[in-house]
Amino acid sequence: MRGLPPLLLAAALALLAAPFGARLLAQALGADAEPFPADRLAGLALTHAGLALAGVLPAALLGMGLGIAVTRRAGRGLRPAADAFAAAAQAVPPVVVVALAVPAFGFGLWPTAFALLLYGLMPVLRATVAGLESVPPDIRAAAVAIGLPPSRVLSEVEWPLAWPVVLDGLRIALVLGVATAAVGALAGATTLGTPIVLGLQNQNQVLVVQGAAATAALAFAAEGLLLMATGRRAGDAA
Amino acid sequence: MIAFEDVVVRFGATTALDGVSLQVGAGELCALVGPSGSGKTTLMRLVNRLVTPHAGRVLVRGEDIARTDAPALRRSIGYAMQSVGLFPHRTVAQNIGTVPRLLGWDRTRIARRVTELLGLLRLDAALADRLPGALSGGQAQRVGIARALAADPDILLMDEPFGAVDPITRRELRAELRRIHAETRKTILLVTHDPEEALELGTHVVVLRDGRIVADGPPAEIIGPGSDAFARDLLGGGQPALRRLSLLPATEALDATPPPPGAPELPEEASLADALSLMAETGQDRVALAGQDGSVAVATVLRPGA
Repeated sequence: MRGLPPLLLAAALALLAAPFGARLLAQALGADAEPFPADRLAGLALTHAGLALAGVLPAALLGMGLGIAVTRRAGRGLRPAADAFAAAAQAVPPVVVVALAVPAFGFGLWPTAFALLLYGLMPVLRATVAGLESVPPDIRAAAVAIGLPPSRVLSEVEWPLAWPVVLDGLRIALVLGVATAAVGALAGATTLGTPIVLGLQNQNQVLVVQGAAATAALAFAAEGLLLMATGRRAGDAA
Repeated sequence: MIAFEDVVVRFGATTALDGVSLQVGAGELCALVGPSGSGKTTLMRLVNRLVTPHAGRVLVRGEDIARTDAPALRRSIGYAMQSVGLFPHRTVAQNIGTVPRLLGWDRTRIARRVTELLGLLRLDAALADRLPGALSGGQAQRVGIARALAADPDILLMDEPFGAVDPITRRELRAELRRIHAETRKTILLVTHDPEEALELGTHVVVLRDGRIVADGPPAEIIGPGSDAFARDLLGGGQPALRRLSLLPATEALDATPPPPGAPELPEEASLADALSLMAETGQDRVALAGQDGSVAVATVLRPGA
C-alpha cells in the first residue's frame, strides 16, 4: 500500500485543477477569469501521459541496459564514460534540449520526448548501478561457484536483489518525466503545459494554476500506480 | 578422481601456488590445511575453474578441465563455503533446488530430493519454505551443504564450511560431515585452517606452506615421526605423538594375552589415546577392549605398529 499516499495527493490536486476547484480559487483570489474546460483538460492529460511515457520508457530501458553493461566484467571500462554522459544529459535543462531539438525533429512531440529521455537517463542508470553493486559479493560468488552461467547469475540472483533500488530510480525518472513533459507546450506538443503557456500569455492565473495542478496530479498518480503495480508483483513472488 | 600436475598460480606479482602436484583418489576426504596465504583455497578453487592455472594441468575424472565448459563443470561439483552465500530472495527449498533446476530436473524430482536432503542434514522439513534470513548460523551452513549436495555430485568442495559457526555447532557439523562422507562415499576436498579439524575429518591430509605442499598422506602418517617438521608442528599442537595416538585405533596395540581379571574395558571404537587415558586414570598397564579376546598393554600403545 505504499502507492496510497501519492494517489490521494493526486486526487486532491486533480480537484484543484478541475474547473469548479479552479473557479473557487479564482474567487478567493478576487479574479474572475474563465477556467479551462474539464473535457479539454482530460484530453491534454492523456497526450501528456503518452508523451511522458514516450520519453521515460526509452530512458528506463537505456538506463537499465547501460547500468547492466557497465557492471559486467567486459563493460567495466565504459563506466566513467557512461556516468559522464548521464550527468551531462541531466545537467542540461530540458527546456534547452527542447529548444535545441526543434530544428532536428521539428515542432510536435519528438523534441520533448528526446529531452525527457536524456533527463530520465541518469536516475535510472545511477540506480541500476547502485542496485547491482549492492548485491553482496559472497552471494554472487556462490552463484558462480555452483554453476550458474553469467546470464543466470544476472537474471536469477543479481537482478532480483538489485530490483528495489532500480525501482526507486525508475520512480524518480517517471515523476521527473511526467512533471517535465509540460515544457513540451513550448515546442508545439499539446500537454498540460498548454494551459500554463496560455495563462501566461493572457495573464490568466487560473489557467496557470490549473495546468500546474493537473501536471502535479498526473505525476503523483504515475508514482502511485507504479508503486501499486510493482508492490503487487513483489508480493506474488514471495 | 582429481589430479594436479605441476600447477602454478600467480596473482599479480605473488605466486599463490608454485609447482603443486597432488592426487586425490575417489572416495577420499582430503583436508587441505595450512596457514593463511599458503594457497589451500586457491588449490581447491582450481578444481571447478574458479581459478585458472598459469602453468600445469588439473584433471577431474581423468579429463583436463581447461577443455570443459566452466559452468557445466561447476554444476557437476558441489560447492559449500564459509560465508554460505544462500540466495536471500529464495526459500530454503528453492536454494537447495538451484542446481537440479539448472540441470532440468522436473519439479516432483526436485521436491523429493529437497526432502531427502533436509533429512540427511537433519533439518526440520518445516524450514523448506523459509527464507534464509530466518535461519540460525548452523542451519544456514547445513542448507549450504544441502545445496552443494543437491544434484548428487561425486565431488564436493568445501571452503572452511564450519568457519563461521560457534564451537558447539561446529563440532556437530563435523560429526555430520563425517557421517555424510561415510554414507555417500563422495570425494570431498575440504579447506580448513584448523589442524584438529583436518586430522579429525581427513582420510588424506595435505599440508601447504607458501604455495607448496610440504606433507601429503594419511593423518596418522603425516603427524608421525619422519614426517615434515612444519607439518608435525602445525598439526601436532606441540604434542604430535599424542595427537597421533588419538588417530590410531586401539586394535593396533591388541595382543593375544587375555586381560587380567578386573581390568578396565575400553569401548570398541577406542583410540590408542583413549587406552592411554584409561591406563593413566586407573593405574593399570593392561586394559581390555570390548568385543576382543586379547588385551592392550601400555608398552605396545607407546610403540604402535612396532
